[in-house]
Amino acid sequence: MTGRYSARDIWISWSGILFVLVVWQAIATFGLINPAIFPGPLDVVRAAVTLVPPERVLSHARTSLTRIAWGFSLGAGLGVLIGVASGWYRRLATVVRAPIELLRPIPPLAWIPMAIIWFGLGESSKVFIIFLGAFFPVVTNAYKGMTGVDPDLFRAAQTLGLHGWRLLVRVALPASLPDIATGVRVGWSLSFGALVAAELIAADRGLGFMIMNARELGQIAVIMYGIIVIGALNFLTDWLIREALFKRRLRWHFAS
Amino acid sequence: MRTSTVASSRSQPPGWSGRTERAVGALTVAVLLAAWELAGRAGVLSAYHFPEPSRLAATIWDLVVVGFPVGVTVWQHVGATAARIVQGYVLAAVLAIPLGLVVGGVRALDQASAPIITFARSVATISLLPLAVAWFGVGELSRVLLIAYGCSWVILTNVIEGVKSVDEELIRAGRMLGSTPRQLFTRVVLPASTPRIFAGMKVALGLAFMVIVGVEMIGTIKGLGALIMEARTFYRSDAAMVGMVFIALFGFALSRLLDRLERVLLPWSGSLEEVER
Repeated sequence: MTGRYSARDIWISWSGILFVLVVWQAIATFGLINPAIFPGPLDVVRAAVTLVPPERVLSHARTSLTRIAWGFSLGAGLGVLIGVASGWYRRLATVVRAPIELLRPIPPLAWIPMAIIWFGLGESSKVFIIFLGAFFPVVTNAYKGMTGVDPDLFRAAQTLGLHGWRLLVRVALPASLPDIATGVRVGWSLSFGALVAAELIAADRGLGFMIMNARELGQIAVIMYGIIVIGALNFLTDWLIREALFKRRLRWHFAS
Repeated sequence: MRTSTVASSRSQPPGWSGRTERAVGALTVAVLLAAWELAGRAGVLSAYHFPEPSRLAATIWDLVVVGFPVGVTVWQHVGATAARIVQGYVLAAVLAIPLGLVVGGVRALDQASAPIITFARSVATISLLPLAVAWFGVGELSRVLLIAYGCSWVILTNVIEGVKSVDEELIRAGRMLGSTPRQLFTRVVLPASTPRIFAGMKVALGLAFMVIVGVEMIGTIKGLGALIMEARTFYRSDAAMVGMVFIALFGFALSRLLDRLERVLLPWSGSLEEVER
């Protein structure tokens, strides 16, 4: 993916998107499907300007991002902590692994009813579901990374006089970073799906609520707009995470 | 723990044997369940928020025999969920595999479709629920199509990557040995990309399982997702928890099945990492 792109390559890349937009608009313009049910891209733009002005969308987006920021940082933070600790102290692992492995197959969305029972319809129920989306992939991958470190690395470091905490911080943690990073990325995409689902089912604010509300009002163009905004947000944040974690910090891991 | 013991345990196998580790794990779970039960009986945990394990056991029996809502047993829920997953999944495979084989083989098509596929994958499947409901109603069609949407992009990406990753040397060798384009495709490209395709199918099934629960929470009373949502509506936290247990078992069985299938069908393929998006 690092090669240079010629003008022709770039043109081809854009042509696909252009083609989709043109076909989509043509269907709406020529009325092949009722435009009230299948609005074209121009209708979506119009809806974005008139029906849900940018300030409204921004405020919904802020609500959603605040929820995911809390849930994700708590989930990923605790996941790294428990994953690393259980990877370092094997006896701790035998105790915490079993309950984690038992709860792990439950998809985050399946927690929604219990989250409402436990936390009500407020912010904490959403944060909890997002938390679960992040926690399980991160804890599993952090543990996997810690236990998968080459024993020779430890022997070499011990020969060089590193022990205890310094061995953990200087050797074990850096060596398991690629796995942790993978867990963080998977966790982010699960958290994001959980966020949207939680907002669809039980919320009065946020991007998920915005599109669910638009359905009740029959504003299909707004639903489409919301889906695009949610998709773009997911794409952008995932890209940022990938840049931050994989390209810079972990460059040496992938150099060989 | 003293530093020296920690350090020495690094270069040695874990201190406890595998059997002891499993026993300790089982014991931990047993202790947690017992504590939960006792706390529930002593009134420390509210029966509504945390129905005790003994009540859950009774509810399992209830769900299997009587059903929740009454008349819909847990097997019917599992059946409904499985049927939706299978339909959506098969639809996705039927669409995405041939398409991916073509796109992966033609460079210009691959370049033109890459941004679309990347964006389509970023669109959270569950966010399409309101649109699907507006277009196709709250019936089965919406649910099956959403599963198909989620699965097809994952399968598509992996098929394209699989075709692209076929070793040039293999193709050249095949050509030199006089294979026709058709033979080249069926004898070289297809077998060489199969492990990757299968990896995509596996990830897609996991995704289908994640999505189905959410999709079932609206507009139906059948299916595991519907079961737990109905349970909440009627303040039956015990039924919701038992539903989650069945969802976990279902997911576990699903991944087991796929692992076995992979070993039988593709004994030569190791475990492949998921494709980067």
